[in-house]
Amino acid sequence: MIVEIGHFALVLALATAIIVSVLPVIGVYRRDANMMAVATTGSLVMFGLVALSFAALTWAYVVSDFSVKNVWENSHSLMPLLYKYSGVWGNHEGSMMLWLLILVFFSALVAVFGRNIPETLKANVLSVQAWISLAFLLFILFTSNPFVRLDPAPAEGQDLNPILQDFGLAIHPPLLYLGYVGFSVCFSFAVAALMEGRIDAAWARWVRPWTLAAWTFLTAGIAMGSYWAYYELGWGGWWFWDPVENASFMPWLAGTALLHSALVMEKREALKIWTVLLAIMTFSLSLLGTFLVRSGVLTSVHAFATDPSRGIFILCILAIFIGGAFMLFAWRAPTLKAGGLFAPISREGALVLNNLILTVSTATVLTGTLYPLALETLTGEKISVGAPFFNMTFGLLMLPLLIAAPLGPMLAWKRADLLGAMQRLWIFAGLALIVGLTLWYMQNGGPILAIFGLALGCWGMLGAVADLWCRGNFGKLPVMTSLRRLKGLPRSAWGTALAHFGLGVTVVGIVAASAFSTEHVVEMKQGQTVEAGGYSLTFDGFREAVGPNYTEERGHFTVSSGGATVSDVWSSKRLYTARRMPTTEAGILTFGLSQLYVSLGDPMDGGGIVVRIWWKPLILCIWGGCLIMMVGGFVSLSDRRLRVGAPSRKAKSVKPVMEPAE
Amino acid sequence: MILWILLALLTAIVAAALLYPLSRRPEALAPENAGEIAVYRDQMKELDRDRAGGLISAEEAEYARAEIGRRLLAAAAKSGEGAGDASKPSIVRKLAIGVVTVVPPAIGLCLYIMLGSPGLPDQPLEARLENPGNDMSLLVAKAERHLAQNPNDGAGWDILAPIYFRTARLGDAELAYRNAIRLIGPNGARLSGLGETLVVANDGIVTEDARSAFEEAIRLEPGNVRARFYVGVAQEQAGKAADAKATFEAIAKASPPDAPWMGMINEHIAKNGGTAAAPAAPSTLGGPSADDVAAAQNMSQGDRQEMIRGMVDSLAARLEADPNNIEGWLRLVRSYMVLGDRDKAQAALKTGLGHFPADGNEGRQLAALAQETGLSAEGVANPGGTQ
Repeated sequence: MIVEIGHFALVLALATAIIVSVLPVIGVYRRDANMMAVATTGSLVMFGLVALSFAALTWAYVVSDFSVKNVWENSHSLMPLLYKYSGVWGNHEGSMMLWLLILVFFSALVAVFGRNIPETLKANVLSVQAWISLAFLLFILFTSNPFVRLDPAPAEGQDLNPILQDFGLAIHPPLLYLGYVGFSVCFSFAVAALMEGRIDAAWARWVRPWTLAAWTFLTAGIAMGSYWAYYELGWGGWWFWDPVENASFMPWLAGTALLHSALVMEKREALKIWTVLLAIMTFSLSLLGTFLVRSGVLTSVHAFATDPSRGIFILCILAIFIGGAFMLFAWRAPTLKAGGLFAPISREGALVLNNLILTVSTATVLTGTLYPLALETLTGEKISVGAPFFNMTFGLLMLPLLIAAPLGPMLAWKRADLLGAMQRLWIFAGLALIVGLTLWYMQNGGPILAIFGLALGCWGMLGAVADLWCRGNFGKLPVMTSLRRLKGLPRSAWGTALAHFGLGVTVVGIVAASAFSTEHVVEMKQGQTVEAGGYSLTFDGFREAVGPNYTEERGHFTVSSGGATVSDVWSSKRLYTARRMPTTEAGILTFGLSQLYVSLGDPMDGGGIVVRIWWKPLILCIWGGCLIMMVGGFVSLSDRRLRVGAPSRKAKSVKPVMEPAE
Repeated sequence: MILWILLALLTAIVAAALLYPLSRRPEALAPENAGEIAVYRDQMKELDRDRAGGLISAEEAEYARAEIGRRLLAAAAKSGEGAGDASKPSIVRKLAIGVVTVVPPAIGLCLYIMLGSPGLPDQPLEARLENPGNDMSLLVAKAERHLAQNPNDGAGWDILAPIYFRTARLGDAELAYRNAIRLIGPNGARLSGLGETLVVANDGIVTEDARSAFEEAIRLEPGNVRARFYVGVAQEQAGKAADAKATFEAIAKASPPDAPWMGMINEHIAKNGGTAAAPAAPSTLGGPSADDVAAAQNMSQGDRQEMIRGMVDSLAARLEADPNNIEGWLRLVRSYMVLGDRDKAQAALKTGLGHFPADGNEGRQLAALAQETGLSAEGVANPGGTQ
């Protein structure tokens, strides 16, 4: 009965979405406050219904109700409880449910926290959100319904894909979707603004917290996914330029650009049209990513062609929303007034540069992701565009961005005079460094690129520190005064500094892990020792172990340094009993920010086994930097300036004057 | 019934919540520009804070103040168009109330009846295990849980092994047989069962492992017909027709003439150049011949699949001509499942169920197989499934 109530709640959510899609828009047109208010209530109702439905599905997973086909296909009664929860979204139907849940969650947040937004704008935004919800509800109910039942019910499930039986599944998809789907709010704001035909600095202020929240979650989600792939797949790599990864990375790049251009718009009312376009593009890329991952078109174009019902459906959603939004944009954008002017060397100028580079790199990644698909569709030829392409193009694009990132926050708005000149000197200093290093490289070869990369990362970190240093006026004022000034800085300034610092940390990690890591692939027998990263690993042999739903053979290694035993580490080969599927679990040992990574390969004749051992110096900086960026996002989000008080409704009855906040 | 009451209640709550904003006293709109003005005022205050803190220069602050001031004026100028004519509920509002009252129950009910399965109760596994009834698959699951706790219960493995085999869970069957042999010792039935599992798992070829299991079984229980039969098949597959004939003839001699396996034995005798001891009914279950096996060994994986598929198809054709063969149907369904052809397995199951009454012994065997393999026995054993 609980399952059926969940199913019914989903159907009711569809009915509610229809109402919220239509009534508030009519309300805005007729200036009818009551009809507009349906948007707020309706969004909350939709969230309640979808949450109820999701809870029912989760319950079916937890109690192993195999009369639900989706549970039978993706669960097993002996699975640990955590994976029964996370298994809910470890499959197509469930992950679409999570997508929808987060979508209506954001709508509900806008309904609750959007009190300071004008009622017409809010009603329109929530209606656009309801259109998206409606599309995905139809998609779920008619092509990916998780509530299909089996009768008679099987006695045991088919188990969750063992690669997904990991803590990573519990947090990566929710974080990623919070980011992905969070950009839907920016999209809805953009479409609503285009519908109303006016957009101003205040609009940017209202959108900013949502952009910031989505961006922060997406950063965390991508970083988490990367770390998960790193330790679970056993290849020692942390980013593969895989289409699925690119699908989440493109909205991040576009979202980062949006975050920065919204800043210009809020402060200077410039870049309005561009910001609206970016908001539409960012969520379009999220939708495109969903299409790529969910339609099966990535696994094989042919697989997609044989069972295209889901793919076609998502393609229609894509066409309607992206096409519709761009058409609306083409129609209404010319009516928007252009905003403030600025000189090329100014904070705005730096942010435009940032936008330019980020957009071009998004386009690069998009090309690299879609080109193989297009080629396969047209000619049947299968190619893969891999790391070399992306490293050349994307890496090159990132160089000027990384050089410019520390300068931006130090520039003044509108036009940067003396300060700007100083910074130009800094740029020349950087250019001089590049030229010098190039000459050195032509003469000597060697790890110049790595040195340059590390310098770039440190430049990012130090730049962020310098930003805070200058704002605090350290050196010119007494230390205590400077500290007080730092404390008084707006949270968003701290957020900027933290995020830029984190970017620098990540760059240092990427460069160090790419340039200085060592890899050993050796055949080892019991008692043999291998040197890696200054440590000696001795293979102690195998030990058997039994997990809740798998058996494994653990290869134990003793790690010693200078003759003294430091620690031990094991990597194992697992066999998941239900699916009879083997996996390899890597052994990872952390030393400070560096890691020793051990992964078992195939057993050889004569009792030996292939062992891959990587020494990855400073690799934790990659994800540590992302964490810092994420903290920066949250700090900025907590800025009190984002919580402008709601305009008082009573104001009207007195007379329509400029009523202050609160 | 309770379900319908709850669903009606849920619908009513949703409709009421959506009606609430519509049925309230007509509301006045806040002036449209109020939000904007609040933002710009806040920007002004922020500017003052930054200026007071010395974060920006006086010149910059002046520029910014002028700019925000312009925005503020522009926003204030827009006022007046704020209030809507919300004095009395319009016809549109009444229409909206109608829509909100009708849409959730109408769409909810129609779609749910189309998509849902209101008749199916929840079936949490624990509750089903406590009261398994005659459901074979649940009994198996229960035994599995018991064995997960007590992996050294040999008798348990011994009971499970043949059930696994019958339901095409060959990997599990092999493990269960091996555990039973390890824990409570070998006997003819266990060893020949293990051997047969290995043979089926290897597409009907008697491997070295399987052959030694059969030979050991015969050593422990010389009269074990199954083991002796497969030894004969092994000889046949090795091309030793004379030995095979002798083996099959020995089985025939030791068996009563109406033994159910006589047909198959006679066919093999005939195949190896002998004359059947009694007029044999045409066998329904042909294994691969020596030629087939030799051919299979030289084939690529794809070709081998093709050959197996051919054999399965011929079994299907024979069953079409002579459908009254429960072993054949069971085997056909299992074979399709092993080949990964779910749809055909489902179709075969359905046809098979058409030939046997659901409450008879044969019908129950098919239903049990259906449940084990996750196929649906719809329309026969338990009508009204959703799949």
